[in-house]
Amino acid sequence: MRSKAYRASNELRIQVSESESPFAIEARGISKFFGGVAALDGVDFDAAWGEVHALLGENGAGKTTLSNIFSGIYRAEAGEVLVNGELQDFRNPAQAIEGGVGMVHQHFKLVEPMTVAENIHLGWPDTPRVISQRALEERTNALMAEVGLHIDPTAKIWQLSVGEQQRVEILRVLARGARVLILDEPTAVLTAHEARELFTVIRGLVAGGRTVIFISHKLNEVLEVSDRITVLRNGVREITREAKGATAQELARLMTGEERTLEVEHRTVTGDAMLELHDVTARNDRGVVALESVDFTVHAGETFGVAGVSGNGQTELAEVISAMRSVDSGTITVGNTDITNSTVRAITDLGVGHIPEDRIGVGMVGSAPVKDNAVMRNYWTDELSTGITLSRDGVVDFAKRLVEQARVQTRSVYATAGQMSGGNQQRLVARREALIAKQVLIAVHPTRGLDVLAAQEVQTSIIGQRDAGAAVLFVSDDLDEVLLMSDRIAVMYEGKIMGIFDRADADRETIGLMMGGHSPAEVSAT
Amino acid sequence: MTTYRLERRLELDARTSALTRVAGAIIAMLVVGLILMLTGRNPFSILMDALDAIFGSQRGMEGVALRAIPILMTALAVALSLRLKIWNIGSDGQFLMGAFAALGIGIHVDGPGWLVLILMALAGSIAGALWILVPALARAYWDVNEIITTLLLNFVAAQLVTWSALGFWRDEGSAVIQSTERVPYTLAGIPGTDSLTIAILAPFLLTGLLFWLFRSTTIGFEIDMIGGNPKAASFAGVNVRRRLVSVMLFTGGIAGLGGMLQLSAPGAQQLGPGFSAQFGLSGFIVAALAGGSMFGVLGGGFFIAAMFFAGIILQTKGLSVFIIFAIYGAILTGVALGEVASRYRLVRAEAAGVVA
Repeated sequence: MRSKAYRASNELRIQVSESESPFAIEARGISKFFGGVAALDGVDFDAAWGEVHALLGENGAGKTTLSNIFSGIYRAEAGEVLVNGELQDFRNPAQAIEGGVGMVHQHFKLVEPMTVAENIHLGWPDTPRVISQRALEERTNALMAEVGLHIDPTAKIWQLSVGEQQRVEILRVLARGARVLILDEPTAVLTAHEARELFTVIRGLVAGGRTVIFISHKLNEVLEVSDRITVLRNGVREITREAKGATAQELARLMTGEERTLEVEHRTVTGDAMLELHDVTARNDRGVVALESVDFTVHAGETFGVAGVSGNGQTELAEVISAMRSVDSGTITVGNTDITNSTVRAITDLGVGHIPEDRIGVGMVGSAPVKDNAVMRNYWTDELSTGITLSRDGVVDFAKRLVEQARVQTRSVYATAGQMSGGNQQRLVARREALIAKQVLIAVHPTRGLDVLAAQEVQTSIIGQRDAGAAVLFVSDDLDEVLLMSDRIAVMYEGKIMGIFDRADADRETIGLMMGGHSPAEVSAT
Repeated sequence: MTTYRLERRLELDARTSALTRVAGAIIAMLVVGLILMLTGRNPFSILMDALDAIFGSQRGMEGVALRAIPILMTALAVALSLRLKIWNIGSDGQFLMGAFAALGIGIHVDGPGWLVLILMALAGSIAGALWILVPALARAYWDVNEIITTLLLNFVAAQLVTWSALGFWRDEGSAVIQSTERVPYTLAGIPGTDSLTIAILAPFLLTGLLFWLFRSTTIGFEIDMIGGNPKAASFAGVNVRRRLVSVMLFTGGIAGLGGMLQLSAPGAQQLGPGFSAQFGLSGFIVAALAGGSMFGVLGGGFFIAAMFFAGIILQTKGLSVFIIFAIYGAILTGVALGEVASRYRLVRAEAAGVVA
C-alpha cells in the first residue's frame, strides 16, 4: 500500500476537476470583527472561472481580511463561502489549498539558500519522502511546463529577482492544486517591467481556466489586468462592475469616498544650489560598490526625483548624504558647507531631514513611547536640553504639538509608537523630518505601503517643504510617483546616474528602459 | 453570554507592573503554604518564624541589609545593562575582580585609612570595568554574544581568586588554607548599628543616580534608544558602539565596587573561595525580574536578601534545606509569572454574534 502510494506520488499530476458551478468562489454576507470593529460587514463577492477579479480598496478597507477568509487564515463570524458551488468552512490554509484556494502573500515565504525545486516541494504532501535532486528538478520542470511559467529549477532563491521569486510562490501554490489564486498586492514589490510580465502570467493562468483574485490599490494596474472589479470601503462592498469602461477617477472616488487628486505644479529651477554631490563613490554593507561617481546638484525650492528599481543604490545615496554611511571618494556639500563624512548630528543641525526608507527599522523605536520618537532627532537641541539634562515637559509639549500638526492618531503621546498604524507612523516621521529640513529633505519611498489618502498627505507635506525653499531629494521606485512629484528626474541603475531630465522632457518609456539598465544611447537607438 | 479574554496592554504603568509581581509572590506563597500543610507542617508558624527572624530583632534587619548590599550592587549592574538589551551575566566575576583589586591595594599600600579605602574603591571599580572590557569591545565591534563571554569570565575570576588565596597572597599564618591576608582597613560603621557600614548607602545613591539618569538626561534617553532599536539610535546621531562600550564598562565598575564594599566590611577583609556566595546570580535574578526598573531592583534586592536570610534561620529551626530551596524557587517563579501577567489585562468580550 505504502509503496504504491510512493510510486504514484513520484509522477507529477495536478488535479484539474471539471467545473460544475460557473463560479469559482463566492462569498455571501461575510462579516468579520476585530475587537468589536467590523472589518467586513455583510460582504457579497463572486468570481467566475477563468476570470481576473480585482479587489480594490484603501488600507483597512477589508480586502486582505476577505482574502484571508477565502484562504483559511481567518474564519468569518457570519456568512458563507462557496467554492465551485459547494459550501466550505476552511479552518486553516492547508484545508483551503485542498479545497483549491491558494494565496500568494505580499511577503514571500521562501527559503533563500534552497533551490527553486526544493522550495516548491517543501511541505508539499505529494513530495516523495526520498527523492533525488534531479527527480525534484524534473518534477518542477513538468509543473512549469504545465502551468506555462519558467524559472531555472536549480537556481537558489537568493539569486532570483523579486519578480522571479514571486513566480516561485505562484508555482508553489499552483502545484498544490489551487485553481483559485489570490494575489495580495503582488505588484507592490515589482518594477514596472516585472509587473507587466506578471500580468502576462496572470492572463495565461485564467486562459487555462483558473481564477485569479487580484488585490491592489493601484488603479491603473487594476484597470489593465482585470475582467471585473469589486471596490471595498470600510468593510462594505461599494460596487462590482466590469473593468471595461471604468475610469480611474470613478474608482478612486468609490475607494476613498471623496473626489480628490493631487496636482503638483512643476517648476523650472531658479534657486541656489543647495545640495551638491560631486563624484561620490561608496560601498554597501557587503563592501560592494553601491554608488559610483554620482554627480548632481539639487537647488533650493526644487524636487529632484530619483527613479530606479529598489536596490540600485538609492538607499546608500540617502545614507551618505545623512552621514549614516561614509563615502570612499568624492564630496558632498549642503549650502556652502562640506559635509563629506561628517556626523549625523552636525548634518541634522545644518537642516537636513531624512525620511528613511525603513521607517520602523531605522526611523523610529517601535517599543518606545510616541513622545520619545517625536524628539529623537532634536532632543539635544537647546529647545529641549541643557546638554546633560532633558526637559521632560519640553519633550511632552513638543510631542503633542508634532502629533497635532501631523494629525497622528494615537491615544496619547505615552503610548508606544509601534502600536500605531503604518500611516500614522509615517505621518509622525515625515512631519518630524520636515521640521528639521530647513535646507534639504531626503525622502526615500515615503509613501510605500500607504493608501491613497495617507500617501497624498505625505506628498502634500513634501511639496510644502519644497515651496518653503528646501531642496528635496525624492526617491521612489514607483515611476508614476516620481513623475508626479519631481521638477527634475535622475535615473539610477547599479549605483550610477544614467541620466537627468527636466520634468518637461521626461518620457515615461525612456525612463523605464533606463531603470532597467539601458543607456540613453541605446534608448534613443530603439 | 459574557465571556472574558486576555488582551495585551498598550501601556504599562509602574504601579500595575509592581502590583502584579507582588501578587505573583503572594499567590506562590499561598500555594507553598497549601503544600506545606498537606505534608503535615504548619505554614503559619513557619511564616511567623520567618517574619520574626527578619523583623523581630535589629540583628535580623541588619543581617538582611548586609546581604542586600552585594546583591543590589550586582543587580544594578545587570539592570543598567538590560536597558541596552545587553545581558551582563558576568557580574559575579566583576564583583570578584573588584574585591581582588581592592585587596591588592589594601594589603600593599600603607597610608591613612580613608585614603587607602578610596584607592581600594577606585581600584575595585576599575578592575570590574576591565573585566568586562573584552566582552564589551567584542560585542560592539564584532557582534560577539556578550552572554557567553561575560559568563565564561566568571570562572576565570573565580580561579584567579582561588589562586591568590592558595598562592601569592595566601595568609601564611592562618589555619584556614584557602584564605588571603587580611586588609587592615574597614569602612566606617553606621552609628546605632552593630554591623552596618556606610556601604549600605551605595546601592541607594546608585539607584537614585540611575533613576535620574533615565528620567532626566540625554544619556539615559540615548541608552534607552539603543536598547529599543540601535539602528534608530544611529539614525538619531548616537555613536552606538562607543555608548555600548562605555555603559558596559560602567556596569562592570558597579559590580566591581560591590566587591570592594563587601571586602571592606568588618569581619570580611579577606578573600577565599566562599567570598562571593553567588551574589551575581541573585543580582541577576533580581534585575531580570525587575524588568529594568531601578526602584524595582531596590525592592527586589531587599526582598530576595530577606528571603535568603529567613531561610537560614528556618534551617536552624529544623526545616530541611531542600524545602527552603523549593520555597525560594516557587516564590521567584510566582514573581516571574506576575511579570508576564502584568502585560495583559482581562477584558469582557462580547460573543461574536451579539455585535453582528
